[in-house]
Amino acid sequence: MPAVAVPVSSRPAPLGAAEPSGFAYVVPALLLVIVFFVFPVAALLLRSVTEPAPGLGNYAELFGSTTYLRIFLNTFLVSGLVTLISVTAGFPVAWMLAIMPRRLGRIVFAILILSMWTNLLARTYAWMVLLQRTGVINKTLMAMGVIDKPLELVNNLTGVTIGMTYIMLPFVILPLTGVIRAIDPAILQAAALCGATRAQALRRVLLPLALPGILSGALMVFVMSLGYFVTPALLGGTANMMLAELIAQFVQSLVNWGMGAAAAFALLVVTLGLYALQLRFFGPGRAGGL
Amino acid sequence: MRLRTTLASLLVSAALPVSAADMVFTSWGGTTQDAQTQAWAEPFTAETGVDVLQDGPTDYGKIKAMVESGSVSWDVVDVEGDYAAQAGPAGLLEPLDFMVIDRSKLDPRFVTDYSVGSFYYAFVIGCNRDAADDCPKTWADLFDTEKFPGKRAFYKWSAPGVIEAALLADGVAPADLYPLDLDRAFAKLDTIKDDIIWWSSGAQSQQLLASAETPFGSFWNGRLTALAESGVTVETSWDQNITAADSLVVPKGAKNKAEAMKFIALATSAKPQAELAAATGYAPINLDAPSEMDPKVRATLPDAQDAAQVNADMEYWAAHRDEIGTRWYAWQAE
Amino acid sequence: MLLNFDGLGAWKWPLVIFTALVSLFLLLPILFIVALSFGSSQWLIFPPPGWTTKWYVELFADPRWIEAAWTSLRIGLVVTVLSVLLGLLASFGLVRGRFRGAETLRALFLTPMILPVVVFAVALYAFALRLGLNGTFAGFVLAHTIVALPFSIIAISGALQGFDQAIEDAAVLCGATPLEAKLRVTLPAISHGLFAAAIFSFLMSWDEVVLAIFMSSPTLQTLPVKIWTTLRQDLTPVIAAASTLLVALTLILMLLAALFRKGDAR
Repeated sequence: MPAVAVPVSSRPAPLGAAEPSGFAYVVPALLLVIVFFVFPVAALLLRSVTEPAPGLGNYAELFGSTTYLRIFLNTFLVSGLVTLISVTAGFPVAWMLAIMPRRLGRIVFAILILSMWTNLLARTYAWMVLLQRTGVINKTLMAMGVIDKPLELVNNLTGVTIGMTYIMLPFVILPLTGVIRAIDPAILQAAALCGATRAQALRRVLLPLALPGILSGALMVFVMSLGYFVTPALLGGTANMMLAELIAQFVQSLVNWGMGAAAAFALLVVTLGLYALQLRFFGPGRAGGL
Repeated sequence: MRLRTTLASLLVSAALPVSAADMVFTSWGGTTQDAQTQAWAEPFTAETGVDVLQDGPTDYGKIKAMVESGSVSWDVVDVEGDYAAQAGPAGLLEPLDFMVIDRSKLDPRFVTDYSVGSFYYAFVIGCNRDAADDCPKTWADLFDTEKFPGKRAFYKWSAPGVIEAALLADGVAPADLYPLDLDRAFAKLDTIKDDIIWWSSGAQSQQLLASAETPFGSFWNGRLTALAESGVTVETSWDQNITAADSLVVPKGAKNKAEAMKFIALATSAKPQAELAAATGYAPINLDAPSEMDPKVRATLPDAQDAAQVNADMEYWAAHRDEIGTRWYAWQAE
Repeated sequence: MLLNFDGLGAWKWPLVIFTALVSLFLLLPILFIVALSFGSSQWLIFPPPGWTTKWYVELFADPRWIEAAWTSLRIGLVVTVLSVLLGLLASFGLVRGRFRGAETLRALFLTPMILPVVVFAVALYAFALRLGLNGTFAGFVLAHTIVALPFSIIAISGALQGFDQAIEDAAVLCGATPLEAKLRVTLPAISHGLFAAAIFSFLMSWDEVVLAIFMSSPTLQTLPVKIWTTLRQDLTPVIAAASTLLVALTLILMLLAALFRKGDAR
């Protein structure tokens, strides 16, 4: 709806005087988050400067090591790749889902829900067995004579990307479908009347109108990917380790909470920084749901 | 807000607290813990009337958090030997009461002031006969990618086993293993790094071997026994098998300390040890247990292979656990 | 043109085929899991040497699976209600409110989505131990509500932003109280956002494993925890059988919903 474009703040004051500032609405959720999230997490993060000795030693170790820096880079590489593929593949599907005949749309929708509903671990394991050298995909391709040596599809970047894209796709498609459905078809008809070709209409009208939805979906996927842990651990090789896995290793295997907290804090700062950047460039209204 | 309080009270009332007469035993889950339940917990309950609740899997992060908060819900925990040797002096464990636990019958390799062995296992060379033309017999074979091309499976986590195997493969004599020459070990591991597929759990190691994703590799002996029983043609080489033990410990501040000591006393006594060994394929740590066992079963256990055995040095590992671990994970991520 | 299925012209079939391929990609592991659940090999070998239903028998013989599923369902439902309620209120505040720091607050609410769950899990574990919340229903609900809330807020505030407040104001002008206007005009208008929030919230809780591992106790564990421990230890196709049953259950629910909608059609 075009009305979305009206900035929130320029609206006339609501008629019902019962909403002085709206802050009261936020209070219940805020209380929950402060007591059971901010407080415990802050207490843990504090350990990054107190354990094993007070000071910034953990951060020096974290940023002084090429290994850890590479894990950082790799985390962003994988997340970026997954985001790019999920959005590129998700947009056409969301678009089709929004305008398809109902019957067909329901089937696609059902598949989306089914895949989300199936246990994450089970799905990841299924991919492991599908992708491995002696797995179904390699066996099929070899039987068909497409390849004569098994492809390396798992325990590497390919495996992580496939597995994570698989998980993220529904998270892009579902909200994006809503966004596209909300676009008034008349606008595109108008574009056609003005003589725009399909490609022009897509580039100049549909994509810009869907952009807030695309961006918020992309940010959600990117941010979720940064903190992912189970899928990279099972489908990636150790050379593709991601930050969340490193943190888990520090916390659970090495019982070195100082380093774990330092790595977590670094990840948190970078991610919140990205979020702030997005706010600056696109503003709260344009950032869609986020 | 009233709704929230009502909800909150509803939620709390739905919680099920552990009753005072119970104790909690924590292990790694799966068939091993099922066997521990059967061989240890059930006779213990029958004898003392104390119910043993099973929890798991063991998590060192959890133990640390419990001890620090002073709210310890685990009474007896099955941990890796090197962790036990490190965590005891670090103040995370209760000293064991050897007035209750009979130390004299236990394999001294696996006893410290804070821990006793739970069972012991060996890293052996396993091979899927149907998937490999030829099976590696020694660690040197397993590290030889020319004679034995293809992927090989190794244990992912930093623990006694893989580093020792690399050094043995490189020609280090078992007697000269410790202190570990880490540079040499990593250099040797570098030569096969691209051909390694890491397994992070026992089940995954079996899956890798059974599906021939890795036709051979280094495995826990008990997992190979189970795999063979399920119909996979497994060949096991015990040459220079590397043994390490799980340990039983009591976290500091455990609520049912007295019961915990009694539980450990029973768990490490001859008959329950023999039963666990028969059920899992791992070896007993009670010196009297072998005589309680069927000789046929005994022949398949690590303690029947002691001529070829190489013992991982738990003291060494405890002292260097953090250092090796940090380097290990950094090397893996390279 | 582009938003009319029949007006797509030459683009129609490529797009339809692409959608079909993506759907197939999404379906592939699920079909595979279903096939494995009937395979006779214990080791996820495909194609399996034979077919069997013994994994289902094993599944039903172990009451822990059913118990775990029931626990997950209860936790998921309470989390959904809490998350949608809190998310709805917070979204109203964030979208309509004009107070300082609203953007900071929004960022704060989204942080649980950003932070690797394992960090939150350990932090909450240490904190919950002191409160005696570990292994309690309340502990699970609190933990899962916090990770579900960001999704709920995203979905609901997105819908609320797309809703023209003038319509609500008009209802008030026509004599409705502000509360009535919200309940009878605004809520139905943003119902798709509420629905998405409910689905995401439930799924977050239903499929969440890391927090659950830390929260669970011998007497209370969720389905993902059961699956996780089983995967690590036995890797039995019972997991595939359990997943298959869930898929079947979902299909049945969706069919019922479709029938219900048909009966309800205007």
